[in-house]
Amino acid sequence: MAQLPYAIDAETPLAPAELAVLRAQYESEGDMVGVQTKFNYAWGLVKSNARHEQHLGVMLLAEIFRVSLERRRECLYYLALGNYKLGNYAEARKYNDLLLDKEPGNLQAANLRSLIDDKVAKEGLMGVAIVSGVAVVAGIVGGVLLRNLGRKR
Amino acid sequence: MDDSGHDNDFPDLSSFDDESSVISTRGLEAFGRKVTTTASHLMAPRTSDPASNPTYQTAMTEVHRQLRRPGLQRSVFSMARTTPTDMVRSRLSTKEIHSRALAYVPDELLQNIPDGEQTYSLFQGFQASFPELTEEGKKHRRRVSRGRKLLDEGPTVPDGSPKSLQKLKKEKASMMHELEMLGIRKNMASSEIREIDAKIENLAGMRGILLERLANLEQDEALLEHDIVEVEGRLEEALELAVEAESVALRTPTKSEDDAASEKGDAQGFMSQSVYEKLPSANSTPSKKKPRSIRRKSMPILHEHFQPGTMIRSMRAHQDNITALDFDAPFGLMVSAAMDDSVRVWDLNAGRCIGVLEGHTASVRTLQVEDNFLATGSMDATIRLWDLSKAHYDPQGSQFGKEEDDEDAIAFENPDDQPVDPPAGSMADCPLFTLQAHLDEITALHFRDNVLVSGSADKTLRQWDLEKGRCVQTLDVMWAAAQASALSAGEGTWRQTTRAADMSADFVGALQVFESALACGTADGMVRLWDLRSGQVSRSLVGHTGPVTCLQFDDVHLVTGSLDRSVRIWDLRTGSIYDAYAYDNPITSMMFDTRRIVCAAGEDVVKVYDKVEGRHWDCGAGIAEADQGKTPAVVERVRVRDGYLVEGRRDGIVGIWTC
Repeated sequence: MAQLPYAIDAETPLAPAELAVLRAQYESEGDMVGVQTKFNYAWGLVKSNARHEQHLGVMLLAEIFRVSLERRRECLYYLALGNYKLGNYAEARKYNDLLLDKEPGNLQAANLRSLIDDKVAKEGLMGVAIVSGVAVVAGIVGGVLLRNLGRKR
Repeated sequence: MDDSGHDNDFPDLSSFDDESSVISTRGLEAFGRKVTTTASHLMAPRTSDPASNPTYQTAMTEVHRQLRRPGLQRSVFSMARTTPTDMVRSRLSTKEIHSRALAYVPDELLQNIPDGEQTYSLFQGFQASFPELTEEGKKHRRRVSRGRKLLDEGPTVPDGSPKSLQKLKKEKASMMHELEMLGIRKNMASSEIREIDAKIENLAGMRGILLERLANLEQDEALLEHDIVEVEGRLEEALELAVEAESVALRTPTKSEDDAASEKGDAQGFMSQSVYEKLPSANSTPSKKKPRSIRRKSMPILHEHFQPGTMIRSMRAHQDNITALDFDAPFGLMVSAAMDDSVRVWDLNAGRCIGVLEGHTASVRTLQVEDNFLATGSMDATIRLWDLSKAHYDPQGSQFGKEEDDEDAIAFENPDDQPVDPPAGSMADCPLFTLQAHLDEITALHFRDNVLVSGSADKTLRQWDLEKGRCVQTLDVMWAAAQASALSAGEGTWRQTTRAADMSADFVGALQVFESALACGTADGMVRLWDLRSGQVSRSLVGHTGPVTCLQFDDVHLVTGSLDRSVRIWDLRTGSIYDAYAYDNPITSMMFDTRRIVCAAGEDVVKVYDKVEGRHWDCGAGIAEADQGKTPAVVERVRVRDGYLVEGRRDGIVGIWTC
């Protein structure tokens, strides 16, 4: 069994009832909540499609990172994955690269890196395309308008 | 687009990018180049569907391939290596900024990542525990176990068909998976236990700190209280002086007459004044000096927070066998008497001897402390009453002229140290009066309010009126026993027990009085309940086979301890046995508070019976010092109040414990 989940795992949301179970468990342990319980809830949240739940999940993961020293290394990956899902690619890359520095052979991290690269490239290009497209359209419209104005005169 | 050139141009670009999102001019240049190229590729063919256009696709794949090379990619999107939407979000949306701040991990934490290998990852833990949490998982588990049962029940002979082979393989795989899951769950449980252990340790540390703080606060409180009492005393004195001055000013002419009269009255009063007037009660004329308040204003609670069985203090009170001891309240005053014929008063808070009570001509066998009053019964057949509030004592210890050994030094005092001798005459004002009537040594006494009852080796009990200071009733135990036997033959007679120890046992081992009710345990093993109004035995409790040495009752139960090694708990209402248990040796002393019954049973530890938990345990020096090869002396006397236990041993050492 894999030590770490592949990114695809994070893309499959849990049923609301299942998430409710995890939340109930998390809340029942109160202030003295265990790391595993916290992680279970956080991971359930990260898997969700709702953005505010993902946010909460990443926040909990960051808490785990801060509190439990011995879990930091694997938490890097979860944080990277969570931020990747949120679209915070800069953060995701920061964590993932740090993990890859420590574990160059980590398949999941390598996979995540390529995914982040893809996403950044695609969205960057789309952005560029949109911006330039808008610019071109604006130019054309402007040109047409100008020409029309010129004709009117 | 020459990417090799890029790579050469920016050999350390990645580190550059890491530090900030500052837009490098070179990066911008490259970016601009890229944009124009891409835009021209995309814009040139203005067809309806760009995705279906082969030109677009080739362009995209080309761009993609290039972008996959990290060096180039980083140079292209130099701005924080992220997408515009992300950048916009992270800078403009307050909600985003807020949640990012919460999820932010500071760099110093990122630097500190230990290499420790974990037996399972959190994700594996999630996978292992998740199915159990949800309904589906439970169903799955049930199905699996049922499947296994089926296998067990009907071991179908493998027919060698590929289908059954596959099925078996699948079965095996799923079982292996389950085994793996179980292993992870096991690891999870053990690591969670470790986690909790760490938390407990942490909390224990915090508790220790708080305990120390509480101890300091209590110390301060005690000192302040003492100061308050002192100031109160001075205030009273000043008031008295003021009143006196006023009256003097009013009646100056008759001054000499008054003086003479009062002097005369005093001289007479010493002879005829009833004793009770000497007993300062709350509304009688206050004594001139009150160095100690009648009741402490604050309740010490420190000992309640110690682990049961913790030693608070140990001190060498006497050089000989402790014969009697009692104390008024936790961290209050203790009085101890020993075979060396001395009676000492102790400040339990500081562990210091306040003074020595002198008066008895033989050793004190029994004593009781109640508020500020002390009654001692001695082998010289007298009972003396003392007012401990008259002692001259300063808790700060300045009186001793030995400021160096302050609280700390005393707290860690070696029990074998010679006790610091209190100043002579510190207890000179304490004696109130002496009760003389018994013909033999006093072995037991108890007083409550104004009634004191004493038991003596002359085989009588005497009831004393503390207001009048004289004996109001004598109860003859032998007569009562004979009476009882005459009325109902066989029951309640004086039965000589067959134990050898009987000769040394006190005739009256213990007694307790409450208003008109009196309980007394005698050497014949009987416990008699007397009605002081009629002077008759109202009930006899038969059960002990050896002399009764100790006895105490509350509103429900009467507890007795005997040399027959047993402790019996009687129901006061019905007179039947409620509970009983026994130790290995004769019981010499017993006392109970709301929660536990403590006994001195001829061992170097105090035997404690926790009534709430129904648990027996040992408390005392015998436990800790057994490891060190020392053998502490046998515990002879024990007292407990509110979980504060004081025990006196045969070698004169007094130990104070929590329980």
